[in-house]
Amino acid sequence: MEAMGVSKLKKTSSWPKVIAVCTILIVLICAMSLVSIAIGSAGYSIPKIINAMLSDENSTIKIIVMNLRLPRVILALIVGASLAVAGALLQSVMGNPLADPGSIGVSAGASTAAITILLVFPHLTASVPIFAFFGAGLACILIFVMAYDNGISAIRIILSGVAVNSVLGAYNSFLQMLNSDDLQNVLGFLNGSLSGRSWNQVYIALAYGSIGLFLGFCCIKTANLLLLGEEMARSLGANVTRSRILLSAISAFLAAATVTVVGMVGFVGLIVPHISRLIIGSDYKVLLPVCTLLGGLVLLVADTVGRVLIQGMEIPVGIVMAMVGGPFFLYMLKKKGKVYGG
Amino acid sequence: MEVKGENVRIGYGEHIVIDEIDITVKKGEITTIIGPNGSGKSTVLKALTRLLDFKVGNINVDEIDIRKIGNKELAKKMGVLPQRHQAPPDFKVKDLVAFGRMPYQKWFNGNSPEDIEIINWAMKQADIYDLREKSVMTCSGGQAQRVWIATVLAQQPQILFLDEPTTFLDISYQLETMKLLKRLNRTSGIGVVMVLHDLSHALEVSDKIVVIKDGKKYSEGTPAEVVTPTMMKEVYGVDCEIVFVPGRTNPVLAYDEII
Repeated sequence: MEAMGVSKLKKTSSWPKVIAVCTILIVLICAMSLVSIAIGSAGYSIPKIINAMLSDENSTIKIIVMNLRLPRVILALIVGASLAVAGALLQSVMGNPLADPGSIGVSAGASTAAITILLVFPHLTASVPIFAFFGAGLACILIFVMAYDNGISAIRIILSGVAVNSVLGAYNSFLQMLNSDDLQNVLGFLNGSLSGRSWNQVYIALAYGSIGLFLGFCCIKTANLLLLGEEMARSLGANVTRSRILLSAISAFLAAATVTVVGMVGFVGLIVPHISRLIIGSDYKVLLPVCTLLGGLVLLVADTVGRVLIQGMEIPVGIVMAMVGGPFFLYMLKKKGKVYGG
Repeated sequence: MEVKGENVRIGYGEHIVIDEIDITVKKGEITTIIGPNGSGKSTVLKALTRLLDFKVGNINVDEIDIRKIGNKELAKKMGVLPQRHQAPPDFKVKDLVAFGRMPYQKWFNGNSPEDIEIINWAMKQADIYDLREKSVMTCSGGQAQRVWIATVLAQQPQILFLDEPTTFLDISYQLETMKLLKRLNRTSGIGVVMVLHDLSHALEVSDKIVVIKDGKKYSEGTPAEVVTPTMMKEVYGVDCEIVFVPGRTNPVLAYDEII
């Protein structure tokens, strides 16, 4: 296994560069947020929006921005950040850049639970988020229990993940086949979307997201230590099995929290950590902050693009990410020699 | 400090690699474990450093059961450089060496002034202080090995365990690494325990050599006691002579001519 990091990287960046990169990302996020708020089926110029927001009167602009567009922008930022950090943490556990929360069953577990509720117990549709959250958790626990054998190795997680994912995937397809007339809600869930989300969902995402991100940032040292390989980490006094479980749990928690609010959005956890490593290096001290910001930015851009690409129709952000993410994934495979873990 | 294994049986799952071995390694000494491929020498090193649990017998660190010592406590006593290790290539040398301070820190601590002092000391000891701002990937093979040695030195261990520290290095880096280890041992009294393939290195630097054959200890003693034509024949199946060269303390190996 090659070491974590990308060989064409320069050395891990110094703090001035980190601050510069973060500042640029924050500026871009602010600019993109304004753009995203401005455009839509009812388009307003940015000065007009700012004026409306600053006035006391309850204009249409203000209502649209406050109730529809602002929560959507904030949600995109939280979900993107959560998914990117979830991916980065899991990549440290697996020692592999191609790991994302999907590989520990988060997506399969959440969709199994959601599809079952939507198709078999439709009267519980309102509780889909809760079931999806616990479905994700259960699938994840199942994979880790199966992978456990006097400790947990990355390869065993991946193998048991493949097994669990394929069984759950088959079950999901089967249920969908049986109910092929009634798939609207299911498709809505599977192609994660930010459309029509309310402040309530923003609060949920914010609560879970900030807890998960906080815990993730607490594990920076552990994540770095795992980069040195199992034996080295152990001889430096780390409990590797406990660290792997802890990081995976935080990663699963972050990913599952996003699933409950927006459904399934793939590839963020894969692409964003990769680009972040290219920009800033593989030290989690600097990688996680950049992932947090870049993840939010990427998802916000993807959602905005999905809103404007085809006039009169919204492409769910999950589909946009998959369309861009797939080719990007192939690009990473092609450059395997240069990408760590290949 | 000494690490003492008695009647130790070691293996992976059902597969027993070392049947039974008594081995003691001490601070202040350079102990080398040699033996043919698959004899189980790395396995012994892993058991002595608790990277691998043993089946039967006991291993004590200064009379204390090694299984009862906390992870970080053990990491302060012994530094281990496994055969396979990896570094994120973009890390700076000083950041990699700083990992050696992990056993002394809580998860939220950064490097204290004392930590930084010790990191600098370790880099100077390993002759890489001038490289501290460079990234690990721009270091040569020999430099990279010294960076790793500095990392385990920063743990301030009493005994350093190294599994084949010269593999993959060309001869000049091999000698450089051996010199560094011997110098560290002679100047600071740190114990060195290593698995070596190269018998000339073992002859040159060791205070004590332990020979492992087929999962058992074949012999142990000073280089001159242990490395004999009989041992070479019985353990490696190789004919050779042990030659004393005027002006050298330790003998050298001369393998039979290949005709």
